[in-house]
Amino acid sequence: MTMLNPDPDAALVERVKQGDVRAFEMLVVKYQRRIERLIGRMVRDVDLVADIAQETFIRAYRALPQFRAESAFYTWLYRIAVNTAKKALVDMKRDPVMTHTALQGADDDDETYRGGMEPTDGETPEALLASKEIAATVNAAIAALSEDLRQAITLREIEGLSYEEISDVMNCPIGTVRSRIFRAREAIAERLRPLLDTREGNRW
Amino acid sequence: MSQPDSDRSSDSSRRILSALADGVATDSEAARAFQAWRDDPDARASWHTYQLIGDVLRSDDLACEPAADEAFLVALRARLADEPVVLAPQARADAGPVALPAAVNASAGAARSRWQGPLTMAAGFLVMLGGLSVVGPFKHGSDPQLASTAASGPVLASTAPGSSAGVVATSVQTPAQSKAAADQLAPYLAAHRQSTMSGPFQMSGSDIRNASLVQPAQ
Repeated sequence: MTMLNPDPDAALVERVKQGDVRAFEMLVVKYQRRIERLIGRMVRDVDLVADIAQETFIRAYRALPQFRAESAFYTWLYRIAVNTAKKALVDMKRDPVMTHTALQGADDDDETYRGGMEPTDGETPEALLASKEIAATVNAAIAALSEDLRQAITLREIEGLSYEEISDVMNCPIGTVRSRIFRAREAIAERLRPLLDTREGNRW
Repeated sequence: MSQPDSDRSSDSSRRILSALADGVATDSEAARAFQAWRDDPDARASWHTYQLIGDVLRSDDLACEPAADEAFLVALRARLADEPVVLAPQARADAGPVALPAAVNASAGAARSRWQGPLTMAAGFLVMLGGLSVVGPFKHGSDPQLASTAASGPVLASTAPGSSAGVVATSVQTPAQSKAAADQLAPYLAAHRQSTMSGPFQMSGSDIRNASLVQPAQ
């Protein structure tokens, strides 16, 4: 199977294969939220979501030497997450303390599946408020960008276009695309930092 | 007014991280980005922020407090520290002290002490693998992780395709020596099996392979 665009994670994956576990952390930071959301839509017990997500990344780390890049890293990771969640659900069926809600939606692979009900939300009201504030800040920052920067970051992050494709769409050199995407990220990050740096100098 | 050096360096790091996030960093840039992730808290924060921005642009419901993301990573780090060291493709049994992966060398303090146990086991494993490879008692089938070559010495976690050839016997070892080697290797294999097969979620066969050892006939 060939991919339309090169896997953007190829360099990170290769680095992990060379023994750099810290590079794997970068992949975790990149995909943790998506993986947790996927699992949260399969397993309705919010207390299990983080555990299954952790198990997903551990499995991926162990199996990475066998990853042959026949698909994108995220596609491969997604499959591991689905299989890990299904396995957890099967285990829970055998466990007398399993909850009924935790088993709903167990057979659906679709990341967008909601099974007719929202996943259990274990967030505190404060965390929920903080999440909404972050989303509102990002959206406000996007709206405040110049047209060039907004188009570049949107084509990359939302449409998933490669730099070459963005270069064609925007009729500018690839170096300009790279610069615009960076400046867009920085402009948004500038607005976000007051919300994210809750412990100054101690984050990450 | 000129920009201070530290600001220029930080700006340069962030540019590279942005490029790496999109998979367009050059090899030298990627190397700098990996270094920045290890050494620079600001670089780690920027990487997280860029990824969070991308997620929120795709879906508002991916927005979440950074504290939650950080807690997830801290917990995962602890688990990764307990993982057997299986990703060391350049390590050689005949190279004297075992060459540690770059990330392990770079880590210090508490992180180093966490690695010492698994590394000691892995070093012992490499040495014993070297001893066993000349006899050929391993029956690893097509498992590339345990492939070794007569020319370069044993290689742990080799990812090279086509490395499934069996081990070639190049010298004779007494049964007693083989038995002793197998006995010393047993604790590592037991720990490996336990780490991959126990816990709340067992590994499926497609996710990971288990090391096994067939002891030579006495």
